[in-house]
Amino acid sequence: MKHVIAYAEHRQGQTRKVTFELASEARRIADALGGKAYVVALGSGAAQLAEQLKSYPVDTIYVDEDRDVDGFLLDPVVDHLEAVAKQVGPSVMLIPNTLSGRDIAGKLLVRLGAGIVADVVDLQVEGDAVVCVSPKLGGAIVTHCALLPADYGIATVRPNAFAAVPGGGGARVERLEKPAGSYAAVIESDVEEGAGELALEEAPVVVAGGRGLGGPEPFDSLLKPLARALGGAVGASRAAADAGWVPYNLQIGQTGKTVTPNLYIAVGISGAIQHKVGMRASGTIVAINKDGAAPIAEFSDLLVVGDAFRIVPELTKMIETAKGHVS
Amino acid sequence: MKIVVTVKLVPDPNAEKKIDPATKRLVRTGVETVLNPYDEYALEAGLQLKERVGGDSRVTIFSMAPDTLKETLRRALAMGADDALVLSDGELAGSDVWATAYAMAKALRTLDFDLLVVGGLTDDSSTGAVPGALAEHLGLPCITNARKIDISDGKLEVERETDAGYQIVRGPLPALITTALTFGEPRYASLKGIMGAKKKTIATIGVTDLSLDLPVGTGGSKTELRSFAPPPARGEGRTIEAADGVAGATAILEFLREKKLV
Repeated sequence: MKHVIAYAEHRQGQTRKVTFELASEARRIADALGGKAYVVALGSGAAQLAEQLKSYPVDTIYVDEDRDVDGFLLDPVVDHLEAVAKQVGPSVMLIPNTLSGRDIAGKLLVRLGAGIVADVVDLQVEGDAVVCVSPKLGGAIVTHCALLPADYGIATVRPNAFAAVPGGGGARVERLEKPAGSYAAVIESDVEEGAGELALEEAPVVVAGGRGLGGPEPFDSLLKPLARALGGAVGASRAAADAGWVPYNLQIGQTGKTVTPNLYIAVGISGAIQHKVGMRASGTIVAINKDGAAPIAEFSDLLVVGDAFRIVPELTKMIETAKGHVS
Repeated sequence: MKIVVTVKLVPDPNAEKKIDPATKRLVRTGVETVLNPYDEYALEAGLQLKERVGGDSRVTIFSMAPDTLKETLRRALAMGADDALVLSDGELAGSDVWATAYAMAKALRTLDFDLLVVGGLTDDSSTGAVPGALAEHLGLPCITNARKIDISDGKLEVERETDAGYQIVRGPLPALITTALTFGEPRYASLKGIMGAKKKTIATIGVTDLSLDLPVGTGGSKTELRSFAPPPARGEGRTIEAADGVAGATAILEFLREKKLV
């Protein structure tokens, strides 16, 4: 492994922050390995994304606005990544640890005969191995796992784990040849739900609600304004998603998303282990709960025991006022 | 239709995982082994399809597991699966994702099936890469995170959840599908199911039954666990009783200012 290839996940050119995080990290690891850093952007909107990536310190940005990437599941992307990897030579692939990133990585590891470490939050080059730091067992332990010396290795990287650091400049944009291939799984339709919301995994602040909110309405009237004031996103516990108060793509926890914002505010969430594993690595955790003995007390930096329906609107007002004075 | 559902056996996810500081190993004492919860949804999908398609449809469970734990699979048989095949061999110990997917794919090749249903993640290690790797090894279309599966004229139509919403995907059979947790709650085993499961077959094969070209286990792995430790401890938290909304909000705002978060 000498070079680093980052896969730029996006939606119609609508970037995800993790792409820039991977581009930045690709540079650092490539330097440590004495190789080059590449980014691959595919599908409609890829050219526009490549323009944005030019302000990141990579050597080459490979682009193909291949329509098949948007029309078929997985294989067009995997074919392209395999071709780039074989053209570039021995390399570490950095792929976002997202739903589609995990599928791509699974297929690619067979194509490349590569080892994989998933949910990586830090990378170090030690001798001729690339060591990945990754939480396991719901964050109960943090492992150091080496991609053993080989031609190829894959790390699926947790969003929000690395800083996106612009710099360098002068990256070349190169158009890729489309590899020949036939694809079996046809995407008939692709529907966005909750469009316009900040992606939960990438939000610097998450305001999450649970059973204590009693219904769907407070997510809109109580949590959304607070999240907006703080520049963050709204999430939920499994209890709230199971009750149908919010869509499942807002669920945080073992069976939902893992988030690591700078600030996590848990409103009316008791803090069962199922929820804890999805947010325990957040920077600062504030809980508002009417029960001072709720399990969330054990892993909150601040627990305010009181009535969320009274506290949250006041807090929203105070933060808006504070912001008003600053700007 | 022949359906195979893969099942992993994991420590009870509701038990908090703890590492014994002396041995640096996972504390398993008093922790029950259960079916990976994600795989129960895969099994539910397999059983629903079996019922819908009818005829001589069958659901076979496949698991790579230590022989000593295989009786745990009775629960899957009690839910309605017809039989089970376990790949069990000391040589498999220490297999990473690469070696696991390779060995599983070789074993799955010994089974004849139209549909392979896999859980989306495993509760204990959560790489999520095994389904894609299996599909690639077996040359199957890979349709993940399904919340609705329809089969007609030997073709699949799947509604799958994405990070942004959902997609409708069509594909041929045979195929590999993974299930989302919105697929529907896994059924409980009935008393009749539990009694019937006692007579069902759990067959075991080992690596010598597979035509392996590559090593498996620790020696066949492409990754190596170097060390592990508990995560950095959080500092002691504070608890404040808020008499009213303003008092609670003021306490939070002061705290956020102190942490330079506003």
